[in-house]
Amino acid sequence: MAGCDVPPLTSTKPSGQRDPMRQAQFIRSTTFHWALAVAGVLAAFIIVLFGFIYWKIDDYLTARSDRVITVELDSIAGLSPERRLEAIDEKLRQDPRRVQVVAIFAADGHRITGNLESLPPHLRIDAPAQGTDVIRTDRKGSELQTVRAIARRMRNGDVLVLGRNIDEAGEISHVVGQALALGLLPAFCLCLLAGAWLSMRAQKRVEEVNQRVQRIIAGNLRERLPHRNVDEPFSRLAAIVNGMLDEMETMIHALAGVGNDIAHDLRTPLTRARLALERGRTNATNLEQLQAVVDKAIAGIDQSLTIITALLRLAEIENSRRSAGFGSVHLHEMLREVCDIYEPIAENRNIDLRVHASEPLSVLGDRDLLFEAVANIVDNAIKFTPDGGKVRIELIRCDNETIVRVTDTGSGISEQEREVVLRRFYRSDKMRNTPGVGLGLNLVAAIVKLHGFRLAIHAGPGGRIDIICPDPQPSRVALAAKI
Amino acid sequence: MALVSGKRNIPGAAASSPANVFAAVGNRLMTKVLLIEDDSETAEEITAELADRGFEVEWSANGIEGLDKARSLKPDAMIVDRLLPGMDGLTVIEALRKEQVRTPVLVLSALGAVDDRVRGLRMGGDDYLTKPFALVELMARVEALLRRPAESRETTLRVGPLELDLIERTAKRGDRVIDLLPREFRLLEYMMQRSDQLLTRAMLLEEVWNYKFIPATNLVDVHMGRLRHKVDGPGEAPMIHNVRGSGFILRAGP
Repeated sequence: MAGCDVPPLTSTKPSGQRDPMRQAQFIRSTTFHWALAVAGVLAAFIIVLFGFIYWKIDDYLTARSDRVITVELDSIAGLSPERRLEAIDEKLRQDPRRVQVVAIFAADGHRITGNLESLPPHLRIDAPAQGTDVIRTDRKGSELQTVRAIARRMRNGDVLVLGRNIDEAGEISHVVGQALALGLLPAFCLCLLAGAWLSMRAQKRVEEVNQRVQRIIAGNLRERLPHRNVDEPFSRLAAIVNGMLDEMETMIHALAGVGNDIAHDLRTPLTRARLALERGRTNATNLEQLQAVVDKAIAGIDQSLTIITALLRLAEIENSRRSAGFGSVHLHEMLREVCDIYEPIAENRNIDLRVHASEPLSVLGDRDLLFEAVANIVDNAIKFTPDGGKVRIELIRCDNETIVRVTDTGSGISEQEREVVLRRFYRSDKMRNTPGVGLGLNLVAAIVKLHGFRLAIHAGPGGRIDIICPDPQPSRVALAAKI
Repeated sequence: MALVSGKRNIPGAAASSPANVFAAVGNRLMTKVLLIEDDSETAEEITAELADRGFEVEWSANGIEGLDKARSLKPDAMIVDRLLPGMDGLTVIEALRKEQVRTPVLVLSALGAVDDRVRGLRMGGDDYLTKPFALVELMARVEALLRRPAESRETTLRVGPLELDLIERTAKRGDRVIDLLPREFRLLEYMMQRSDQLLTRAMLLEEVWNYKFIPATNLVDVHMGRLRHKVDGPGEAPMIHNVRGSGFILRAGP
């Protein structure tokens, strides 16, 4: 077909030119939205994870300092009162980070030694280690500190308080926060970048496909979608679409071939009509001559119209999905009727036309169309059988099939011709001068196909054509009814 | 089939023109035909041909106006194009039928005839003709519609010397008994019910043989040839006339 070779009529934008619309498009694309959502979920997960780590570390540190101060308290409590004071002084001296809190208070609350101003009011005595606020006092002044502390009443009535500043935990949370920031931000950005990249990549491929498709629409039927040899959804989709395009290209070429045949077959009678009219216009000298010319022209036009009508009818049957009008067709009666109609014609040519249909058999179908199909086959058989020959119409029943068979003693259809007789307008070269349009067998084939039957053309000697009607399976009847 | 138009060179056509129609339609001076067709050139040709044959023609180019005219003018027959601006032809007919207007209609269409609405139309006694058509075919069908044989209880048909007994299934021409095959009997019966009318090949195929398509072979001519051979014996005046290129007429007189 000429259309295939013509360059696309409407060209798409050159790929190098960036469309500002498209740049923003990737942000709106679903892929990008998914990436954004994933990044969000990831961030939340990381935050929870770090929170958990912080909480666990804090817990661990508290438990450890509790253990430490309990052990220290026990060891100091085990000393004599004098040694206790020494131990406390020693302890305070060895605390350059100023995290230790230790003091002894007399029973009346008066401080004996240590770096606490007074007994912390909320600190329960003889209880396990607990968190409390204390005022720490030493040479550098006094300040409020939150500590883990433990207090115990000694045998002599003094109260020993031992504590440890837990600001360390704050430091740790600071470190954890920094780690979080260092880990979370890049991860989040990475997610977004990956999303944007995927989105742009998809966009690019869609655009690429779009450009190819535009070219196909413009008539370049040989164009195919880009296809990489990897097992990836996009490539597989492209492969599927390309398969479909191959099929369609073949079909379109076949159609184009039919179109050429039609044009040729229409042109012949129209040319005859035109020539007759042209010559008649110059040469006719009286009314009779003119009428003869006009008759000739009308005959030419009629033949073209017959061809068009036959084609339209063929298309009508081929496109018909109607099986609602299907009913039981009594083949034996129908075949007798066909024979009845063609008998005089056969007789005129001394052809012996007979029906062998003893069994009453019926199939599901459209009676008018089946009649037309059989009539066409018989018409052909009589036409191509020499005078004095035989034509038989038989109705045969063999396993699960009903067969309508038309045999004749004509030349038959040769092996090579069997495929092409079903092509539109095919007329055997031997029959070039027999009247007819050359669509008869196409029509038969279309009708047979519509019914879900088969057409079998057998090799000579003599012609033999079968219409094979398989028994309907229950599911098939239901299917036919649905269509 | 050659679609030769024109009554000038067809001897039979003159006999099937209004002279006979008067009898069927009554005392009206002219038979009125309403044509609803949107293509003005086609309409012009059809109108001219109908007028030549003595019909009074009213033309409407769209469905809605056509429906109005059908109601007000009460035509004897209508020719309606199927695809019309405003309202499609079949809808016009359905509307009329709902109002109990029984005017016979011939539908013209470029669409094929294998659909259920068309089947319904034919069963209702109306006719359907696919475009393109020959004017002769159109005229023959309009006259056939105007002269639809009345339901008769007559068991014997008579045309001139020809006699057909529908009960005994026998035929006679004068005293001569004609031996007919069943299919020939059916054909003759159809022709005698429509004597003096041009019957085209397509009409015969559809009505006598119930064909829904035009076969490649000239079936009708072969059958008609055999029937004529039996009806018109040697030395007898021919009754079955071949109208060149168009069809056949059964006539009593010469």
